[in-house]
Amino acid sequence: MTAGASRDAGRRASGTTRQGASQRASGTAHREGGQEFSGEVAVSPAGPGLPPGRGARLALTVLRGSRRFTAPVAGVAAAVLLVLLLQGNGFTSTLVLDMLVYAIAAMALDFLGGYAGLISLGQAGLLGVSAYGVAIAEVHFFSPWAAVGIGMSAVLALGLVLGIVAVRTKGVSFVIITLAMGQVLWGLAFQWVGLSEGDNGIPLAVLPAIGPFDLNDPLTLRMTVLAVFVAVALLLVTFVHAPFGLSLRGVRSNETRLAALGYRTGLHRYLAWVIAVFFTGVAGVLYIFVNQLISPATMAFSEDGLLVIMVVLGGLGSIWGPVLGAAVIVGFQQELSIYVTRWQTLMGLTLIAVVLFSPGGLWGVVRAAGRRRDALIARLEGKRGAP
Amino acid sequence: MQQFIAQTLNGLTLAGIIFLVSSGFTLVFGVMRVTNLSHGAVYLLGGYIGYSVITATHNFFYGLAAGAIAMGALGLLLERTLITWLGGSEMSELLATLGLIYVLDDISLAIWGGSPLTINLPGILGQSTTLPLSGVVYPNTRIFILGVSIVVAAGLSYLLRRTRVGAIIRAGVDDREMVSALGINVRLVFSLVFTLGAALAGFAGVLGGTVLGVYTGGDSDILLFALAVVIIGGLGSFEGAIVGSLIIGLIENYGTAYFQAVAYSILFIPVIVILLVKPEGLLGKVNR
Repeated sequence: MTAGASRDAGRRASGTTRQGASQRASGTAHREGGQEFSGEVAVSPAGPGLPPGRGARLALTVLRGSRRFTAPVAGVAAAVLLVLLLQGNGFTSTLVLDMLVYAIAAMALDFLGGYAGLISLGQAGLLGVSAYGVAIAEVHFFSPWAAVGIGMSAVLALGLVLGIVAVRTKGVSFVIITLAMGQVLWGLAFQWVGLSEGDNGIPLAVLPAIGPFDLNDPLTLRMTVLAVFVAVALLLVTFVHAPFGLSLRGVRSNETRLAALGYRTGLHRYLAWVIAVFFTGVAGVLYIFVNQLISPATMAFSEDGLLVIMVVLGGLGSIWGPVLGAAVIVGFQQELSIYVTRWQTLMGLTLIAVVLFSPGGLWGVVRAAGRRRDALIARLEGKRGAP
Repeated sequence: MQQFIAQTLNGLTLAGIIFLVSSGFTLVFGVMRVTNLSHGAVYLLGGYIGYSVITATHNFFYGLAAGAIAMGALGLLLERTLITWLGGSEMSELLATLGLIYVLDDISLAIWGGSPLTINLPGILGQSTTLPLSGVVYPNTRIFILGVSIVVAAGLSYLLRRTRVGAIIRAGVDDREMVSALGINVRLVFSLVFTLGAALAGFAGVLGGTVLGVYTGGDSDILLFALAVVIIGGLGSFEGAIVGSLIIGLIENYGTAYFQAVAYSILFIPVIVILLVKPEGLLGKVNR
């Protein structure tokens, strides 16, 4: 939350300085608007030529209010909506729960792909490792809490080792290598029947409980998943805005320069990988809590691809975008598949369209709207400042 | 011993099919820097089309040709549209071809359904032969596949080493900018390479359909083999694809025969070793 607040403060500060140099600011905003600034025409009543009237002042107040309050209001509204949706025992709450679990995995992948520039096509495999870890530990008579510990340790240990190989590469090679790793994990789950029960998968009977906090109670479980989701989201947003997140982006865009400045770029990538693996592991534990079954199908190549699609569709490098992406894709999968037989074609075409026409994804659209609003504010401020 | 010989031959057959797929993949990457993740889906679609044509015409060779030609046409179409539109951004191309997997697989599923199909070879090719010296009885289908792959490999090698087009392709792998600076129509070379790659995949799909079957999910299996091959052999290296295919084909087959529980996973031991020791691959030139 602190990161969000400081960003707002920063924006407000830049707003005040902008009033002085309003003309220049509005000029920049024009250029930022770029090719798709089609709102220009609709905006023009407040544009040059009209005297700064009461309408313009009202518009400015509304727009400034929107700048200040949209994010917190949307956040609170989303939280309230989620809590309400998760109350029932029906289809909707199950769907939302699935969305949240995949949103965690998608955010972790976005942290790796959007900020470190390392898009992994093996994340479903890692998600499966912690889920299998929990299930296999319980099969061998460990207590549910110990099973969670074993599942997380397994995925973390694996991540620490695999990372040594994986982060030596980047770009396309990294994608291919993580894909290969994910498939090895899938192969083990599928073929090592003695450990994994093969294609049938392993069910999970008992979930952890401590005192009155009992995850076997559906409502407690749902609220816990929501709480973990919020915690992971806030943590990742904090990481992204922390110095580590900034230097990580630096490593992505110009590794040579960062290395010359004395940053240990390889270590940055490795840490980003480990963080992403950890949170993917968290998603895996929640996955088996929610579904109470883990089978190789969860780790298949198509699932690795789905996670990447969630991130790209939502918007690479935005943390919140992939949450939207996860909601859309899981919704597609479970809801749309009932009505549209060929939903996979639709999904594939959607990804291609996003790559072709809207590389910023859904979150890019949101951001563009925000930029347009800020440009409008700058212009209105410019008008008022002028004699 | 007899079993070991049979397994070795099986491994070589598999290597042949993997080679047909991975050579196209590696050439496309080498010349165009396009990581075509839908290469496996093209292989599978080629297999399905071959199956339908064989069912309709009762001629295996028509099916083989149909699979190759149809997928070549698809490759040309993709190169002229999607790949061109993406304008050379490696990651965008990778992501778009990832989306393409879902589209192609879904189309295959819609037309041919989810149950596995098998392509049978006609006449003497469908029977078995007792091999001299060892006394191993071995299916002619696999011998045929092995022979065809060797012929294709020789043909490709001739194309790359002895013809003008091949020289341009090899030059493109080494230094793409220089090739276009010399006034060679790189666009045409790109189209040719992509079409050739897709046609090889479609061809392999029909050929592979005889021993591996044509089934949902076959695309990601073969894609993974191809990726392992190019990591081992080196992205963009034709000779690397031959060496890598042999390694992967043999390991996969011995693994399936002798280490059932980890067969699929031990495939990647050489991959990891190569990554640690020689990240550019055994015969790779392309700088990662």
